Amino acid sequence: MSGIDRRTLLQRSALVLGAGGLGAAGKATAAGPRADELPPAPQLDLRVPFNGPHQAGILTPQQDHATFVALDAVVPGQGDLLQALRDLSARARSLTQGDAVGVREDDEPPPDSGILGEDNPPDGLTVTIAFGASLFDDRYGLAAKRPPGLTAMPNFPNDAIDPARSGGDVLLQVCAWHRDTVVHTIRELQRTLAGRMMIRWTLDGFRSADRGPTPRSATRNLFAFRDGTANPPVDDRALMDRLVWIPRSAGWAGGGTFLVVRTIRMHVEFWDRVGMREQQAMIGRYRVSGAPLGGTDEFEDPRFDLDPKGERIALDSHIRLANPRTPGTADQRILRRGYNFHRGVDGAGNLDQGLIFVAFNQDIERQFATIQRRLAEEPMVDYITTVGGGYFLAPAGARDDGDWIGSGLAA
Amino acid sequence: MSRVSSIPLHLRRAVLAGIALVALALAAFALSPFGGPRGDKSFGVLKLSGPVDDRNPLGVQVHKVVGSDVPADLYGSQVGESQRSGSDLTGRLVTELAPIAPEAYEAPVARYIAYAERWTARTRRHARTLHRELAAGDRRGAQAAWRATWSSYLHLGAVYGLFGDLDQAIDGMPGGLPRGAADPDFTGLHRIEKGLWTGERPQALLPTQRKLERSLAALAAELPDTEIDPLDYRTRAHEILEDAQRKLLTSTDVPWSGEGVLGTAALLAATHQVIGTLEPLLQGRNNVLIQVQSDLRALDGAVAAIRRRHHGHLPTLNGLGRAERARLNGTMTTALAALAFVPPSIETAPSPVIPRIK
Repeated sequence: MSGIDRRTLLQRSALVLGAGGLGAAGKATAAGPRADELPPAPQLDLRVPFNGPHQAGILTPQQDHATFVALDAVVPGQGDLLQALRDLSARARSLTQGDAVGVREDDEPPPDSGILGEDNPPDGLTVTIAFGASLFDDRYGLAAKRPPGLTAMPNFPNDAIDPARSGGDVLLQVCAWHRDTVVHTIRELQRTLAGRMMIRWTLDGFRSADRGPTPRSATRNLFAFRDGTANPPVDDRALMDRLVWIPRSAGWAGGGTFLVVRTIRMHVEFWDRVGMREQQAMIGRYRVSGAPLGGTDEFEDPRFDLDPKGERIALDSHIRLANPRTPGTADQRILRRGYNFHRGVDGAGNLDQGLIFVAFNQDIERQFATIQRRLAEEPMVDYITTVGGGYFLAPAGARDDGDWIGSGLAA
Repeated sequence: MSRVSSIPLHLRRAVLAGIALVALALAAFALSPFGGPRGDKSFGVLKLSGPVDDRNPLGVQVHKVVGSDVPADLYGSQVGESQRSGSDLTGRLVTELAPIAPEAYEAPVARYIAYAERWTARTRRHARTLHRELAAGDRRGAQAAWRATWSSYLHLGAVYGLFGDLDQAIDGMPGGLPRGAADPDFTGLHRIEKGLWTGERPQALLPTQRKLERSLAALAAELPDTEIDPLDYRTRAHEILEDAQRKLLTSTDVPWSGEGVLGTAALLAATHQVIGTLEPLLQGRNNVLIQVQSDLRALDGAVAAIRRRHHGHLPTLNGLGRAERARLNGTMTTALAALAFVPPSIETAPSPVIPRIK
């Protein structure tokens, strides 16, 4: 047993012992602590800085809940638009840092919905603000500011994009540890933007719980496979400069990143009717462990070089097409930060579930689009349908409290 | 050469071994009236006479399964329970069914191709009617002819790339095209559907119609030489209706006409055809065939009830009542659950072993 394992085990024992101690007065069971004996959620006090060289919500450890909100600007001119963006940043900053609910005269409507109580705890909240290509059309005189590489998301083979669930002038990625924090944030930001930007579409996401076996193990998506195993490590700054951040030399968009959102409906009932062997062959990994086929450890190199004919891992398997792990494809890698979604049931009685695919990359054409074209013929396409999403630019972070996301548009 | 000697040597050995096993089992009974001692792994059941009544007309009473600690009256249900979780009573994985020779698929595929040729000819006849109605500018007549043409084509069950680019040209949706439904490359039956249900002039659809008829002619020419490998064919048995559920009952593939019920009925007929050709292969393999036939009949019943209630016609998806919709969705889901077991029960090779990374 390694030292780390021992410490983890001891901490867990301490938690159980602590609960047992309470249980002497409050009837704990042998199964573990009771829900009403647990301490208040510690995440409520987590604060993620809003200001910084890059926006929060990109390299930030992934919170449990998210909502993506696409907005269309309805203000008449550029000045109003930029003012709306200034106000958006100011309110987002205040909410993410945790603020007190303001008070007004008794006969006036309160300034905050107050659904989180007297204070708005930060709860690890991040609001990542991004712009779609449509913001740079002829309405606001911003055409010259459109960063090269920011286009409307094209239709890829097998896509069935619903215009009402895709695109948008502005996209907000709102993430926090609790659902009510996310909902409150959207409610307050909508109030800030009322009459200036209108919601075009929204999509709620949730993260699967960390269920191990190790703290590093990737969580499972709704096809039950571990998703994110091969994500580039966010603490490797040089790698992030190569794969995620747009170089500072690239003008006002420098320090930002391109955000690709794809609403991928997963036909989960159909998937559940597929044999385990075929499921694993389509992905290229074992469902339980997440190890590449023929391997034993989730993080093991699949060694495609030793399997040139695809006898172990099929040539058209997902992991092989998504990341061939060759020197030529190393700079195509993307940083994924996706969420599951569940939004009810369709006309045929099937669950409307899937993946909010979220990728951050320096250059959409070189990275995401190249990968996506490779994936066009993977067998998994029968089990998924992309119905919405878009391409966006998440500009650099705000320098200080006087700065705002998108201030480069005004320069 | 006598009949007996024509039996291959290994079979004769197997028969002899079987006789020896039966003798051993009988010896075990003789030695112990209540079966072998604990841990005895020989297999058999202990028979004692029991009360003769309506429930047990032969007076058979089974107390214990030899080689198992599970009481006989629970044995069957426990075996069934554990097999559902993929293992036998000793916890070992349940053995797969013995593979079928790939040649066994030749006759079913040939029967399917002959069927597909008949429905292609029928599709072409309806397409000619559609051509005339478009030329005459009769929208309602053209819509009726479109339904007949499209439904006939779906009877082929040509999902999942069976006819590759030709299927895309005949029945493709515009999703992957750069400009979607507005793309100039959007063609085939759904392009005509869009035109007929969104007010385009019927005559303006004639160039698309001519292209469609050329594609159908090419299909008729290609069909006799079409090869379908066993894996593809047995997968088809469940994927045809998977398509109906995912693309037709949700209206994804019939956004303009809403004819999802008509299309589902056609794909159901195609599934019956594929299952019918596979019947000789499915006989006696884990009751899959009986389950599938029973669940497909329930789906047939749901479609037939809809047809009766709508005076002999299949309504659009929006025309379905809530209860009709629920029954259709429900019987479809049940049928799909049964069909999912068709491909694994008639495989042509044992599961390949995945080599280790080295």
